[in-house]
Amino acid sequence: MYIGYALKTALKGMYQEKWINLLSAFTVASSLFIVLLIGLILFNIELFAGTIHERYGLVVFLKDNLSELETQSVITEIHKKEGVISARYISKEDALKEIKDKLKDVSYVFEGLDTNPLSASIELRLKKDFITPEKVKTLSKNIKEISGVDEVFSAEKIAETIDYFNRSLSNMSLIVLIALISGVIFVIYSTVKILFYRRKEEIETVKLLGATRAFIRLPFLIEGATIGFIGGLISTAATLVIYFAITYRLSNVFPILQNLVFPNEVIVVFPIVGLILGVLGAFVAVGKLRF
Amino acid sequence: MISFSNVSKFYDYHTVLRSVNFTVEKGEMVFITGPSGAGKSTLLKLIYRAEDADEGEIIVGKFNVTSIKSSDVPNLRRQIGVVFQDFRLLKGLSVYENVAIALRIRGLPEKEIKSRVFDVLKRVNIRHLADSNPKALSGGEQQRVVIARAVVAEPQVILADEPTGNLDPNTAIDIINLLKDINITGSTIIVATHNKELFRGTGKRVLRIDSNTIAGEEIG
Repeated sequence: MYIGYALKTALKGMYQEKWINLLSAFTVASSLFIVLLIGLILFNIELFAGTIHERYGLVVFLKDNLSELETQSVITEIHKKEGVISARYISKEDALKEIKDKLKDVSYVFEGLDTNPLSASIELRLKKDFITPEKVKTLSKNIKEISGVDEVFSAEKIAETIDYFNRSLSNMSLIVLIALISGVIFVIYSTVKILFYRRKEEIETVKLLGATRAFIRLPFLIEGATIGFIGGLISTAATLVIYFAITYRLSNVFPILQNLVFPNEVIVVFPIVGLILGVLGAFVAVGKLRF
Repeated sequence: MISFSNVSKFYDYHTVLRSVNFTVEKGEMVFITGPSGAGKSTLLKLIYRAEDADEGEIIVGKFNVTSIKSSDVPNLRRQIGVVFQDFRLLKGLSVYENVAIALRIRGLPEKEIKSRVFDVLKRVNIRHLADSNPKALSGGEQQRVVIARAVVAEPQVILADEPTGNLDPNTAIDIINLLKDINITGSTIIVATHNKELFRGTGKRVLRIDSNTIAGEEIG
């Protein structure tokens, strides 16, 4: 087979046009670097956003004077509802104790309080994909219908904000990713197109000698793949440097930066992503060969 | 082996070839002659599908060139070795590499490529130039490289377009003798030339192109 020949031709071509290839690899690297940086920022924001839903919950207020059995029955019914992760019961006494603890600096407000005005309640945690205004509204309505439930505090506005934030983040990630990846493909496309035109005469000759499309394309695909791979490597290395600089140096000033996460998979995956984009760009650049 | 039936070729409104009819048998060596611009090169290009015929039918071995699928064109061209008028040697490649490319295209293993290339270079008397850059060679030597490339894969048909165009008379005779030797091994050869001296006394069939068609046939 002619893979050996294609490799040799590609390497020779890359050496002969080393400056244009190097420039291209660095352009690809800078685009991929931005992709990676934005990806990393979005990834970390999403990690953070992923924990927001844990702080969101519904509060179910129970009617007064429910027996222990009735209370247990309400909890069981709530547990059965779709989307509920956990339900924590807070008795009237615990609620008062909690509020007293929180307001101990202004404890005089409780003076003269003979009876406990607070209701027993159940705090619910919901699944992440369940925190949308519609689902929360339906769930609240269903819980309210359970016998023994007095009121449900659902904070739909908060649910709406969390949902909007999550959706915006996904959309933004997608747009940025598509724009930058298109840019990378375009850079490789342009480079390979230039190399292709420079070798046009040679290509015409080998076509007349009986070369197949694969024979002609293969060296260019290898060149594109190499440019993409090198671009991916450089961008990953640069991002790692930036990551360590931020977590080790800047975190002294901004401690929150210590929590930044760099997924190790990126080190392997990103050069491969570069390689695949390189092959794609080269494939488009060589185009349909006519005989 | 090769047959042209009522083949015509036009460039815009200009007729290059009109109702061309001829056949070439397997193992035959035929000269095509005519003045410059008569359409000799176009006729050869129609055979290896570098140009499309506008009318008629061309058969080369098992291929109907006029209705061939684009994906089959490389297969057709692998049955044909072409000695291009403008040489078409690949820049930056040595003599060896220029000849080897014809075998690499056919996917032959490296060991076989090496042995075949050195054999053919020996046959055309340029074995000692294997590592040279073709640019540094004389016209006759470059012509031998092109012939070596055309014959190395032992194609059924060899087409030579003005193979002695820029050569001195002695070298031109050497090249024609070389093509005759190759013909003896069984290859079908068509040589397009305007130089009558080349086929005189060869005893080979000569097709004369005039007024855009085959105007006559003689024995050289």
